[in-house]
Amino acid sequence: MAKFAGKKSTLLLIAVGVAIAAPAGILLAHDDNATGIFKVRHDEYHKLGDAFKTVRDQSQSSTPDMAKIKTAAQVVNDASINQFKWFPAGSGPESGHKTRAKADIWAKPQDFEAAQKRFGAQGPKLLAAANSGDANAVKAQFEETAKACKNCHDTFRAPEEKH
Amino acid sequence: MNPDTPSPPSVHVRIWDAPLRLVHWLIVLCVAISWWTSKIGELEYHRYSGYVLLGLLVFRLYWGFAGGDTARFVNFIKGPKAILAYLRQLPQRAGTSHFSVPGHNPLGALSVIVLLVLLLAQVGLGLFAGDVDGIESGPLSSYVSFETTRTCAELHEQVFNFLLGFIVLHVVAVLFYLIFKRDNLIAAMIHGRRAFHPHNSPQLRFASWPRLLIGIAIAAFTAWIIARGLKF
Repeated sequence: MAKFAGKKSTLLLIAVGVAIAAPAGILLAHDDNATGIFKVRHDEYHKLGDAFKTVRDQSQSSTPDMAKIKTAAQVVNDASINQFKWFPAGSGPESGHKTRAKADIWAKPQDFEAAQKRFGAQGPKLLAAANSGDANAVKAQFEETAKACKNCHDTFRAPEEKH
Repeated sequence: MNPDTPSPPSVHVRIWDAPLRLVHWLIVLCVAISWWTSKIGELEYHRYSGYVLLGLLVFRLYWGFAGGDTARFVNFIKGPKAILAYLRQLPQRAGTSHFSVPGHNPLGALSVIVLLVLLLAQVGLGLFAGDVDGIESGPLSSYVSFETTRTCAELHEQVFNFLLGFIVLHVVAVLFYLIFKRDNLIAAMIHGRRAFHPHNSPQLRFASWPRLLIGIAIAAFTAWIIARGLKF
């Protein structure tokens, strides 16, 4: 009996695995048709998220890789400068394109600029911390930079689309 | 109550031990907390809730091999024959079926397994998940790429829908027993006892204290070390 139960439960586990994996395939198959500024913005923020993860992982590691931190901090710093070019007029939700950028970005340009400037101030500080070679300084500056990111996202970025 | 048809004599026997019941209700609580904290974006508490859930699941798996008779997988996971036989008598009302099954019935066993597998998948994905900003993440996300953390996060969202569906099914089934079969499974999961015909009352063995303590130690250590990102 026990032997049978073992086989049955294995089959069941496989069935459940397939049930979970099937929709995953659909999820991963979605392609991004974004073009122009929408593609640039999406790709740049994707790079930024990737780099920011590296800064976090390495600065929190017991054996931080300072070379990786420096490269990643450079990407973050560049984004903090270039972000001002990523929100031209007409690149909001009214364009019909799929974007999480809220219309408020263009309706309240001064507030948005202030939020962007917060990140603009943190990017160079993160790069400076990375170049100092002190992982703890990077760790602390990561937190400060993350606050600037969240500040703007909370106000000007729409929630993620639910699948 | 009609005096001409007295209810059959019954004895109350403990079928669920305290650890099993506590784990069940703590899982309910943690799933609710995890759902709520993800809704409102409190990811720090979402992680804590996930770590507790991880410990509870590890304990339940351990209990499935080392626990009492009704907790052990080998005693309640049955093949299609037993499940079909059970299904056939399911439409009968009270006073029949539940008197004969001390613990999970063959159909309920499927529900237990599916829920456990989905919960494990959900917690497992959460450990590797990360947000699109590279800010919030599960404790093992530093071992995988940014792309992988995103895939895990998307699957984490998907699996929750499956989980929710099976939780609804589980609750509907329990309500079916309560209303149609006059069999209160909810109360049994609270106080641990169920009514049995005196001639049919089960002789159940439960696990000893040392086994319980070993299980708690294994569960707590596993959750703790994973929450730390496997760093000693």
